[in-house]
Amino acid sequence: MIFLAMTWLAPFAASIVALSTIPPLVALYFLRLRRTRRVISSTMLWKRATQDLRANAPFQRLRLSLLLLLQLLALALLAFAIAQPQIEMGDSQSKRIVFLIDRSGSMNVNDALGDRSRLEEAKQLAENRVRALNSGGIFSGSAPSVMVIAFAKDAQILCPFTDNAAQAIAVIKAIEPTDESTTLSDSFELARAFSTVTNPDKQSTVAGDAPSYELFSDGRIADLSRSVLRGGEQILFHNIGKSTTANAGIGAVAVSRNPDRPDEVQIYARVVNWGGDIFSGDLEVVVDDRLRAVTPKPVEVPPAQEDMTIGIRVPGEIQVVFPSMTLPKGGLVEVRFAKHDALLADDRAIVVAAPPEALKVALVGRGAFVMRSILEGMSLKSLETFSLSEWNDRLKKDPMEPDSFDVIVLDDAMPDDLARGRYLIFHATPINAGISPYGTKNNATAQSIRDEHPLLQYVNLNDIFVSSMTAVAAGGDADVIVESSEGPMILTLNRGALTFVYVTFDPMESDWPFQRGFVNFFANSISWLAAGGSAVADEPLAPGDVAKARLPLGAKEVSMLIPNGTAMPIAVQDPSNISYGPLRTSGFYRMSWTVPNGQSGPTSKAYAVNMNSRIEGRADAAAEVKFATERVAGIQGGASVETSAWPWLLLSAVAVLFLEWWVWLRRV
Amino acid sequence: MNPILKVDDLLDSRLMARLDRLDVISRKIFAGKIQGERRSRRRGQSVEFADFRNYSHGDDLRFVDWNIYARLDRLFLKLFLEEEDLSMVIALDMSMSMNGGDPNKFDYARRLAMALGYIGLVNNNRVSLFGFGSERIERLTSMRGRRRTREMGRWLLDRTPEGIGGFTDGMRTIALGGQGRGVLIVLSDFLFPDGYEKGLNYVAGRGFDVFALQMLAPEEMDPARHGLAGDLRLIDSETNKETEVTASTAVLTQYRKSLEAYVAGLRDFSVRRSITHQVVETSLDMDTLLLDYLRRRGLLA
Repeated sequence: MIFLAMTWLAPFAASIVALSTIPPLVALYFLRLRRTRRVISSTMLWKRATQDLRANAPFQRLRLSLLLLLQLLALALLAFAIAQPQIEMGDSQSKRIVFLIDRSGSMNVNDALGDRSRLEEAKQLAENRVRALNSGGIFSGSAPSVMVIAFAKDAQILCPFTDNAAQAIAVIKAIEPTDESTTLSDSFELARAFSTVTNPDKQSTVAGDAPSYELFSDGRIADLSRSVLRGGEQILFHNIGKSTTANAGIGAVAVSRNPDRPDEVQIYARVVNWGGDIFSGDLEVVVDDRLRAVTPKPVEVPPAQEDMTIGIRVPGEIQVVFPSMTLPKGGLVEVRFAKHDALLADDRAIVVAAPPEALKVALVGRGAFVMRSILEGMSLKSLETFSLSEWNDRLKKDPMEPDSFDVIVLDDAMPDDLARGRYLIFHATPINAGISPYGTKNNATAQSIRDEHPLLQYVNLNDIFVSSMTAVAAGGDADVIVESSEGPMILTLNRGALTFVYVTFDPMESDWPFQRGFVNFFANSISWLAAGGSAVADEPLAPGDVAKARLPLGAKEVSMLIPNGTAMPIAVQDPSNISYGPLRTSGFYRMSWTVPNGQSGPTSKAYAVNMNSRIEGRADAAAEVKFATERVAGIQGGASVETSAWPWLLLSAVAVLFLEWWVWLRRV
Repeated sequence: MNPILKVDDLLDSRLMARLDRLDVISRKIFAGKIQGERRSRRRGQSVEFADFRNYSHGDDLRFVDWNIYARLDRLFLKLFLEEEDLSMVIALDMSMSMNGGDPNKFDYARRLAMALGYIGLVNNNRVSLFGFGSERIERLTSMRGRRRTREMGRWLLDRTPEGIGGFTDGMRTIALGGQGRGVLIVLSDFLFPDGYEKGLNYVAGRGFDVFALQMLAPEEMDPARHGLAGDLRLIDSETNKETEVTASTAVLTQYRKSLEAYVAGLRDFSVRRSITHQVVETSLDMDTLLLDYLRRRGLLA
């Protein structure tokens, strides 16, 4: 809803002017004109001829006169102009405006005007707003400073506070779409950081005027409930997109090889429906650009449901399992809809299936029976078991020893050195990894579980009970995927050369080993950790993730082939720790490199980036955004301009005076 | 034009000499009071034969045509046209509306009255002057002969414009005044608040050969050319009532249309009553008026 309001900067002055000019003007019309007296023989003929006879009385009845009306109109316009009316946008009075432009995956829905994408619509609206704020020309006051922030999974300042409209418009036009999820809190933090004024003389920080925000989004923002507007901050929500747009997408895809027949793969897909009606459509499986399978009949996904108890919308989901198919080598497996819907990016999901190659795994520590049994049941190239002292001895002899294994399982044991390698760690606290233990907690249950994480595929932690766990404080680069009331239960850390999955409790101190999910978690962890080298399958990345790789020593001419076919060169400093990204759009990426002469080994690594439709697939635009403490209703079609109206009133008054003069000339 | 301070200012000797050749004529033949120089419809004792009629008892035997009696043995009486004098009445408007214009309308009217009266006196007509104004009628009647010229001049010299209108009363007085039938010359601007119709109706049916000479000043004919412009408060010289006028182009145009309509109305009214109407602009030279205009209009010959 467009909210227009008008304020008056000088109403008292306008009142004085109006009272001092309009009554005298009316009085002038009451009073007779001062005329030259002439005695003539007879006025009889003049009386017959003239049109503006006057009565003899000093005052006459006020007659409706076009001239009087025009003069009154001109005076009224002048009085209004002196009052300096301000036509405001919303109730913002800020001199600094932060444009928050959503470029997440859901903004690629083509339901804006003219079948444009929501992002294009948002960019156009933002551009119009910048122009409008600077449209006053010589009559306008100082235009507010504008900051432009594009946000999706993270926020990026495209343009700090500037008065240069052309610069702001240029960066708005340059915003590229992404398929990332949507978070907003980073944007507020960045804007607030730039809104803080520092006094270098007093070495103190003084809060500047709170900026006003203008949010251009479809309102589907994941962390709204964690965002709070501070005192003085105001936000205007430009609602982009239609609230009726439905969408279905592929929430996840997985490829697993049959342990007994490694040439065969099983493909799983999860289809998510955010619409209010049943979704029906065919799914196709394409391997290396060749159609390999189609669902025998259209899959039907139930509609999304409103969960009234927690006040959220729960999408309808079904799991689709395709028949086993042979894939003796690695390949690019794509699951897609036969027909596209509103959001293209989640209509397909890609996974890179690695060739069936066995892993080298080391089990260090006590070597619990359960773990050894699980590892022995996996189709591994080799499994070696070490005590902690044996492992430390090997490390002393060769610090590079961890690189000779694809995954090292530390069962309640922590070696002296944890600088490199990929580890699955149980209970023992990792050293030199920014994880600080601060005690032991008892009787813990899982409370916050990131179901979508590949480690937790087919893992149910809802019923797990842990009698004793180590309470730790995780550093900033750790990624907590399961959390209890007592702290993190499972977390991951990826520093390139060092990657680990850390389970903060001893499985033997819980009922987890008796659940099937423990086996799946173990297998998922081995696969996930091994993904940096040769693995059974690379887990897809999400838009916004960073592609990481450990390349052979001496690798050079590293480049990344991105979905649009462009090869982007990557500067290499340490081949063992290559990262590229974030990968903002979904699709297929391939990192390529060359190895020195005489060396053998792979020269490329594939990455699949899929939009997670469970997070970003909701395509119905929100009518309002609900922050933690308040709700902001959206407006559509842009907002009114906060600008001074007095120049136009003044021009109108001049125009009316010219008109009055013309009318007078016509009369005389 | 010089102000009128003495009788000679009314009629100078040069013009007087030229007027000696003129005479007042009338389209009608009237019965005069005494034997004059012009024919009368009445049969009289002039030498001009008119008709015969049967003799009746008591007729003057001097007019019996004895030649016809000798041939027909019947008595016929010879009838002759009787020559009578012409009654010339000059009615002068003395209302304040005449006291305006440059040249002054009243002065112009007095000079014209003096000239016409002189013509009448020189031609042995019976000249009467009437001045009418607000509730006053002044007169100088039954003058005949050149010797009354100075008396007539002094009378005109003593007249002053005053008050409003009086036209209707003046005409009624003239019509009922027993001046005899003759030529009535009305010198006025005919700008009467209560109209001219009633007054002219009084004299139109009384046997007068009426000449209505409408005196209008140049300012009245074309106000724009004589400095009447802008926002004006016009004061009527007769009523002293004020009229506010913005003398714009449109108003002046409308004024001219009103004047033309008013003059045309008076002319039409006069024509329907056999009255000769003539507009006389006071800037017109008196010689031209008398020797050209009025001769062409049939008043002078």
